[in-house]
Amino acid sequence: MKKVMVGNHAVAWGVRLARVEVISAYPITPQTQVVEKLSEMCADGTLPARFIKVESEHSAMAAVIGASATGVRTFTASSSHGLLYMHEMLHWAGGARLPIVMVDVNRAVGAPWNIWTDQNDSLSQRDTGWVQLYCEHNQEVVDTTVMAFKLAEALDVPVMLMLDGFYLSHTAEPVDIPDQEMVDRFLPKREAPYRLDTEHPHAFGGLVKPDAYMEMRWLQQEALNHVPETLAAIEKDWQRMFGRSYGAIEAYRAQDAELLLVTSGTVTSTARAVVDARRAQGEKIGVLKVKMFRPFPSALLRDALRGVPRVAVLDRNVSPGHGGIFAEELRSALYDLPDAERPELFGFVLGLGGRDITPAVIDDVIAQTRAGQVPSREDLWVGVNP
Amino acid sequence: MTTTPGPHAVPQVAMSSTSTLVTRTGSWKYQMPAYHDRVAPCNARCPVGIDIEGYMNLLREGRVDEARDLLLTENPLPAVTGRVCHHPCENACNRHALDGAVAIHAVERMLGDLAHQRPAPVVRGTPRAERVAVVGSGPAGLACGYHLARLGYGVTIFESADAAGGMLRLGIPEYRLRRDVLDRDIARVAAHGVEIKCGVRVGTDIAWSELTKSFNAVCISTGAHTSRALGVPGEDLAGVRPGLAFLREVNSGKRPALGQRVLVVGGGNTAMDCARSAMRLGAKVTVAYRRTREQMPAIKEEIEDAMREGAEFVFLANPLSFNETNGRVSAMVCERMALGEPDASGRRRPVPTGEQFTLEADTVLTAIGESSALQNFFPDVEGSDSGLRVDALGGTTRDLLYASGDVTDLERTVADALGAGKRAAIGIDRHLRHHHGDTAELNALRFAEGNLSAARWSGRDPIRRTAPLNTVVKPDDLNFTQFRRVERHADPHLPSDLAAQGFDEVNAGLSAADAMDEAQRCLNCGVCTECDVCLIFCPDAAITHAEGGAYVVAMDYCKGCGICAAECPRGAITMTQDRP
Repeated sequence: MKKVMVGNHAVAWGVRLARVEVISAYPITPQTQVVEKLSEMCADGTLPARFIKVESEHSAMAAVIGASATGVRTFTASSSHGLLYMHEMLHWAGGARLPIVMVDVNRAVGAPWNIWTDQNDSLSQRDTGWVQLYCEHNQEVVDTTVMAFKLAEALDVPVMLMLDGFYLSHTAEPVDIPDQEMVDRFLPKREAPYRLDTEHPHAFGGLVKPDAYMEMRWLQQEALNHVPETLAAIEKDWQRMFGRSYGAIEAYRAQDAELLLVTSGTVTSTARAVVDARRAQGEKIGVLKVKMFRPFPSALLRDALRGVPRVAVLDRNVSPGHGGIFAEELRSALYDLPDAERPELFGFVLGLGGRDITPAVIDDVIAQTRAGQVPSREDLWVGVNP
Repeated sequence: MTTTPGPHAVPQVAMSSTSTLVTRTGSWKYQMPAYHDRVAPCNARCPVGIDIEGYMNLLREGRVDEARDLLLTENPLPAVTGRVCHHPCENACNRHALDGAVAIHAVERMLGDLAHQRPAPVVRGTPRAERVAVVGSGPAGLACGYHLARLGYGVTIFESADAAGGMLRLGIPEYRLRRDVLDRDIARVAAHGVEIKCGVRVGTDIAWSELTKSFNAVCISTGAHTSRALGVPGEDLAGVRPGLAFLREVNSGKRPALGQRVLVVGGGNTAMDCARSAMRLGAKVTVAYRRTREQMPAIKEEIEDAMREGAEFVFLANPLSFNETNGRVSAMVCERMALGEPDASGRRRPVPTGEQFTLEADTVLTAIGESSALQNFFPDVEGSDSGLRVDALGGTTRDLLYASGDVTDLERTVADALGAGKRAAIGIDRHLRHHHGDTAELNALRFAEGNLSAARWSGRDPIRRTAPLNTVVKPDDLNFTQFRRVERHADPHLPSDLAAQGFDEVNAGLSAADAMDEAQRCLNCGVCTECDVCLIFCPDAAITHAEGGAYVVAMDYCKGCGICAAECPRGAITMTQDRP
């Protein structure tokens, strides 16, 4: 069934298909439509879930943590300051190994106040033990939402999906809604290994001394290490059943490329168009979309970038005092390559606070990359006139 | 990955190896919750002593007939009071603090009308040999007779008028109280075996001494039928007449000539009845009142209706004298008043300003209060100008002589009369059975400081409240976040231009469905409705359903945090300092 819908509604449809049982969320621009749609679905019975109203994002996450601990499938969504307010609970969800799925509609962080997109809200949660997946279009949003539950429950890790605020959250696109029966076969009811149960009461998350804390962290690390292969297997199933898949990273027209644009989120689509135009003129240029940021797919990236002469990383985010965060992590991932195979890497910080990244901006990035003699350790801020 | 696991295998999550039941967190507490039903303010403030919250709760569960029966346990005339009571219950309703009081009067009216369509079974106690005479068949006399009959006594009510009802029939106009409704409510009293003898004036047709000889007890409920005089020059002019006498004529079907302009003096319900009745006879009506609208003792809705129907109001007007033309009144001379300090009633006292003005009138109806003017056949019975003195159970200073209603020196409303009649019935029953309980026993019959409960007195209270605390629930005791805002239903009224043309019932009343909706708005203040909020919120899962209803708290695990009491929507959980 094809429907035209905005990204936020695509999220809601994914949640509905996944037969989520408990939702708790607090509205915030530009995520609000997600919550509105879900509460409508709960109200009209098309999604028979318990929707828990709360007074804050901290409570929303706490509520889904409690619900998830009882063994049910849970979901929440937030954005920007709401996500930051959840921070403490994000760590808890990760450490408690609860397969919660949440959507963060990427929005810049204040001050100054801004409601438009960039990735600083979610990237500042990178160390909370959550898988992070950045989506490019609404079909990917529906599909990934359902797959996220399968991934989360396979490894008992929480999964966070990102949509660029407004560019994706509020853009309507045709979406093929997967058949519910097939989704039910793909994603059966959750079976939790541990369950909060008042009939058999146990305490969860209590004091653990130094002798065991580190072991439990190691188990968490190991679970996250298994995410890339697990996601690959899940995507293979999805491909078989629904004919679509995306990958933790995706190379586009990258063969024999002399220059690869590394992107995440909606800017990937713009980069694809620019690459198509350049290829038509015979330029050897391509795109590498990084969908998964946590765990960072270092091995996959090393393979994809080995021997590519030049790489331009487009970062719609910045770690103040350092640089673009994707570029930063990518440099670290490529460090293991021998000198001869290691690409020259150029980092670009751009599109912060919702500034457009147009084909002209990407043309500028390509020109700067071609002109660069030595890779700069300092990323270039594109289009800034201070 | 060079990291290796530690020396011993650890689980994926930190989970206690034993059940948490070994940790008796209850030992931490210094306070504990108790389910204590408390008193809803409507119950405490009802002069009749109706268990309003109780019947609302039954309606919430759809137990309509039981709600009707519970109402009839306390109130013999619900179809009447549903129409004419000044409903202090609604003024007290805690829902004011949320979205407006529950329209209790409309629910009572619905149940009262239902009792006409689907009569309740007649309740008679074990028959008793004693017989009681009640003098007067107004609300007080009917209530006294009704409750005595339900306690098993033989009762005869003596009524001097041709039909029973007292002030309900002679004072209240038909557009407020349909006569068929009144007749049906009175018929139910008679159906309880109460003999009503009309056209018999005690003191004339039968001697008071005859009553005291032939009956084991007598209750005087003769009312207050004399309009108070203004005491100003010209009051005896033709055209100046007591409002009550006018109402009595109109309510008997007569249509006295009034002239063009009618002036009504007073601000109580009699004044409003006079004004609205005079308008229905074609007059242009002005109401003169010596204070302002805020101080008017009339029921708020009556004032609003009178204004809607076209009555003009002149406030701060105190009558000084009347002008005449050809021996007939032509105008009233007034002094302009100002509001001074509050008087004994708490209302601001009118003080003269010296300024005079006149209001022209063809007829003046005086309605500044009524007195009982009961000829004192009992020299040993104490009383004053404001009426007979009675104790808490309607007893006069003479043995086995009781009094209730407007003839006493208590509040003069229909509801107060019904409540007083019930108190006298309980007083008589108590006396005749030589039952002398203490004050505490009587207090156990009350909702807080409210009237006595016939259900509790007769031992037939169907509502089993949990360890009731006799304290009234205040808005602060409620958790309004648990309630949805629902607008109060407004009573449907005849269009005022149409209403003022005749004596048809003005307030058509809510439909049964709307009245049931209003019942659903009841917050059940102070009473556990088994809504499960406590159970859901208890962080220790220490609250569970008890067998046979309500809840049980596992005190071994209750930490005494008080969240259940704080979250209880209705204030039905009280934290106590006692350790279990």
